[in-house]
Amino acid sequence: MKALIIILLLVVSTAVKPQDKTFNFNSPQNIRKFADFLFCDKDYLRSAIEYQRIHGTPGDDTLRFKIALCFSRIKNYLDAIDNFSKVNQTSAYYNESTLEILKTNFLMDNYYGVRKYYLNEFVNINTKYRNEGKKLFNFSYLFTEDPLPEMNDFLIPFDENEQGQISSFYNWKKDPPYKSSLLAGIMSAVIPGSGKIYVGEVGDGIVAFLVTGVFAFLAYDNFQANHTTRAWIFTAAAALFYGGNVYGSVAAAQVHNVKIDFEYEENLKRYLEKHNYYTPNYGFCDEE
Amino acid sequence: MLKTAYIIIFISLLVNSAFSQTDWVRWGKADYKYEKQNNFRHRNYGIESETVSGFISKVTANAYWFFISDLDGDNCPFRPSCSSFFVEASKETNIIQGTLMFFDRFTRDFNLYKRYEHYPRVKDGHYYDPVDMYKLEKDKIKYIPPGVIVSK
Repeated sequence: MKALIIILLLVVSTAVKPQDKTFNFNSPQNIRKFADFLFCDKDYLRSAIEYQRIHGTPGDDTLRFKIALCFSRIKNYLDAIDNFSKVNQTSAYYNESTLEILKTNFLMDNYYGVRKYYLNEFVNINTKYRNEGKKLFNFSYLFTEDPLPEMNDFLIPFDENEQGQISSFYNWKKDPPYKSSLLAGIMSAVIPGSGKIYVGEVGDGIVAFLVTGVFAFLAYDNFQANHTTRAWIFTAAAALFYGGNVYGSVAAAQVHNVKIDFEYEENLKRYLEKHNYYTPNYGFCDEE
Repeated sequence: MLKTAYIIIFISLLVNSAFSQTDWVRWGKADYKYEKQNNFRHRNYGIESETVSGFISKVTANAYWFFISDLDGDNCPFRPSCSSFFVEASKETNIIQGTLMFFDRFTRDFNLYKRYEHYPRVKDGHYYDPVDMYKLEKDKIKYIPPGVIVSK
């Protein structure tokens, strides 16, 4: 009996306040609530779609900015820049949107775009984040082959606690720890495998030395024993391993230099991501 | 007490039947194959090539595949395998450079020390070491860090 009463209560309680047929899911307020929920749930594509449904609602100057943020976060950078650049000057997020344009150019690896936008527009219109913009502007030089500004000028916008790290990036860019392909080749020509050791491939270098050495010894030994055919076969093998090692040392130096560039850029990007590309926390969601 | 239990059982049965498995999604026997994929046995033995270098290297590789590799098994730890690397390198450069690239690769093949720290891998576990890395064309080198799984 008790169980029946509990079931009855449950059924009644669900029927007390059923869904109101007059409830308007498509009112701007409810769409906004849903879009905000999707935004904080990191479902940026659907969030942008929902925001776009109500864009143009009077009295709301954050919609365009949030639409642009959504596009930026789903890596649709062109639409993001398009929307950031359309944020109204009267909007509370106008300065932020110009900073976000710099960030988006960075995310697109468009470093010349960063500089062009900074010099032509950002410095004239952004009054709030000039220092942050200048930081991004300076960082763009670390990603290109253009001549770097003077160290002192370069470090001006950065805080004291950042300057140590930034100057190490700067010094690396100025004098990257490349290995010379020519030197690697010459070293391996003199002592097989030494070029590989010079570029950091110690295991490959030792193996190259042993393989070339063993075949050279076998060739020498067979010539000494008058086994001419075998001697020439081993000579050919030694010559091919020797040539391959000289060639490989040159190639290994090139690969090493590309690896150095790759790791440098990864470190720079990781640093910028850690600092969120110097953009502020907007506080749209609790966990942000 | 007993009635309550009956009611709970009844409701749970009702719920189960409401969301029961339907006929058109009935589970069937899956067609599983536990054989290891041995792509190396399905090699292209064709000798068509646009260049003399490509032709010579392909004939050499075919002979190696036919007399040695197909009998010996898939033992090269790299992808492309050393023989395929030779063919590819000769086609993309010339027979002399291709041969030098092959002997460099062959030497690296002997080195068993910490290879996993040097090369990315393909899905089947082989080390990924493409020809483009060693053609001495810096712009064409696409560095992939070790540990990354390449979808090739």
